[in-house]
Amino acid sequence: MAHDSHSVSHAKTLPADLSAPAFVDGWKSRALIVGAVFSVVAVILAYLGQSQDPEHLGWDHLLRAWTMGTMITWGFAVGGLTLLMVQYCSGGKWGLLLRRPLEAMSRTLPLVFVYWVVTAIFDKHLYLWAVYTTKDATEAALNSGLITEIQAHCLNFKRPMLNPFTYWWVSVLCFAIWGWYAWRLNTLALKRDAQGPETTPYWIKKLENISGLGIVIYSVIMTAAAIYWVMSMDVTWFSTVYGLLFLVEQGFQVLALGIIVALSLSKAEPYKTILRQTEQHDLGKLTFAFVMLNIYLAFGQFLIIWSGNLPNEINWYLDRIRGGWGVIITLDFIFHWLVPFTLLLSRDLKRNKKRLILACKIMIFAVAINQFWLIEPNFRDAARKLHFSWGILEYVAVPVAMTAFWVANFCMELKRRPLVQVNDPHLAEILEPEHANA
Amino acid sequence: MPAREGTYGLLAEFETPGDLVRAARKAHDDGWRRLECYTPYPVEEAAEAIGFHRNKVPLITLIGGLLGGAAMFAMETWISVLAYPTNFAGRPTYSWPAFIVPAYEWTILWAGLSAGFGMLALNGLPALYHPLFNAPNFRDGATTDKFFLCLEALDPKFELAESKEYLETMGPVSVVEVEY
Repeated sequence: MAHDSHSVSHAKTLPADLSAPAFVDGWKSRALIVGAVFSVVAVILAYLGQSQDPEHLGWDHLLRAWTMGTMITWGFAVGGLTLLMVQYCSGGKWGLLLRRPLEAMSRTLPLVFVYWVVTAIFDKHLYLWAVYTTKDATEAALNSGLITEIQAHCLNFKRPMLNPFTYWWVSVLCFAIWGWYAWRLNTLALKRDAQGPETTPYWIKKLENISGLGIVIYSVIMTAAAIYWVMSMDVTWFSTVYGLLFLVEQGFQVLALGIIVALSLSKAEPYKTILRQTEQHDLGKLTFAFVMLNIYLAFGQFLIIWSGNLPNEINWYLDRIRGGWGVIITLDFIFHWLVPFTLLLSRDLKRNKKRLILACKIMIFAVAINQFWLIEPNFRDAARKLHFSWGILEYVAVPVAMTAFWVANFCMELKRRPLVQVNDPHLAEILEPEHANA
Repeated sequence: MPAREGTYGLLAEFETPGDLVRAARKAHDDGWRRLECYTPYPVEEAAEAIGFHRNKVPLITLIGGLLGGAAMFAMETWISVLAYPTNFAGRPTYSWPAFIVPAYEWTILWAGLSAGFGMLALNGLPALYHPLFNAPNFRDGATTDKFFLCLEALDPKFELAESKEYLETMGPVSVVEVEY
């Protein structure tokens, strides 16, 4: 910033109180109410579904929907941790803007762990490999017509990887690694703020070094988690881009939530001072990139499998297109790509708080549709046969309740520390008037 | 076409983009309409300050992109369905998933070309002559580190001596008269 002698500085000053505004408590209580109401609805639906002929799948549907809720909240927590690491490596004023919300997301990991433990305890209702753990059991199930020949073959062939023991240990190890990174980055950030500006270069390097390796490790273990938790619901199918699809989905949903949080916080200090249109626009552009990346990978996977048309691959798609599922994937396409793409294409929309928030809400809704489309057709009663039952409504009730409780947890964490990191050179830049830096 | 002789305008030089934007905003507020900012890199606020909100380049880009995508998709459909219907591994001749990638590429290509040529068509470039290059400080600094505001003589408010005084009040480094 080359201010010469006769021009005065027009920089804004940071307010003295950097803590989260009081209305964050309001968000929390609202989230808790929504969570409680939908929990009750979920239990009622489970009983209704359990008593419904001919399937009696109420509690099974609750568990499947629970997995969906786990995946969505896991996306926010671990995705938030990862975007935190990315912005430490990339730098940029948008990173300073989102840092504290992202830290708060990463600190919700214990709740996600609890969510996951429930799916792990009831793994027999979700994963064939958890039911048929030996060759004999698989053989018996095949003979009594409970599983198909291809399923039996895959169960036996993939058993070294897909068995309860490995599943538990890999998952716990993944959580331990994410937990360590979340703990480390969160503690160091506070330490950094407690020290003077002379330490800034040290901290920039330090956090960059931790995060750089962290991103690489994250990409590997999140692929493992996505394979164990969701892909292995169908033992017969595999796709090498699967982990990457979840990775991009996490970036997609975390940026959407980050924008909603930052823009909503800007109604009061300190975000009122630090949120500039420039960074809002930048975040919109970054989100747009994730919208494109997502359709690129998702369509790429489909195009390759469609071109190959091999019996061990294409059935996964046919399970998810035929028998009414075509409607869901069309909705997924519309809300996951068409609507966000069209909206975020506009420069004016990215600079308009209200409309940008609306676009981000649509994106998070799309994440839910996508997870539903990924999870439910894995089960024999639903594959190629989308049909109404009380149980299927669990896919609304359970994830809404779980996400609401997660939001309450997030708000609690957000209140824990000042919303702006002060020991950062970007802070001076973000307080400058926009045109001076343009 | 105005006569190309006499005074083109008054050119004020500023040290920082902030000073330029403040000056431009004030001039626009005071009723100036024939005025222009010149900066070595894009300063969006300068464009906004003089009431320059939007242009037609985004629309041209959108139309170009849509036409490009539609053209390629139509061509692929015509080739595969009508001109050379061929059995590839038993797939239907109208296999739309395979058409998406080239259609997408053409969307990008035509959007890009439309943006580039649309911009050139609308902004009058390439121009062989511009009066402002008669000012030595503009020649030296306009593309490196100086920020300029030009009040043009075509503006009804323009009056040489008065307008020069008016510009002097905004704290410029210099104000010079530029001839056609």
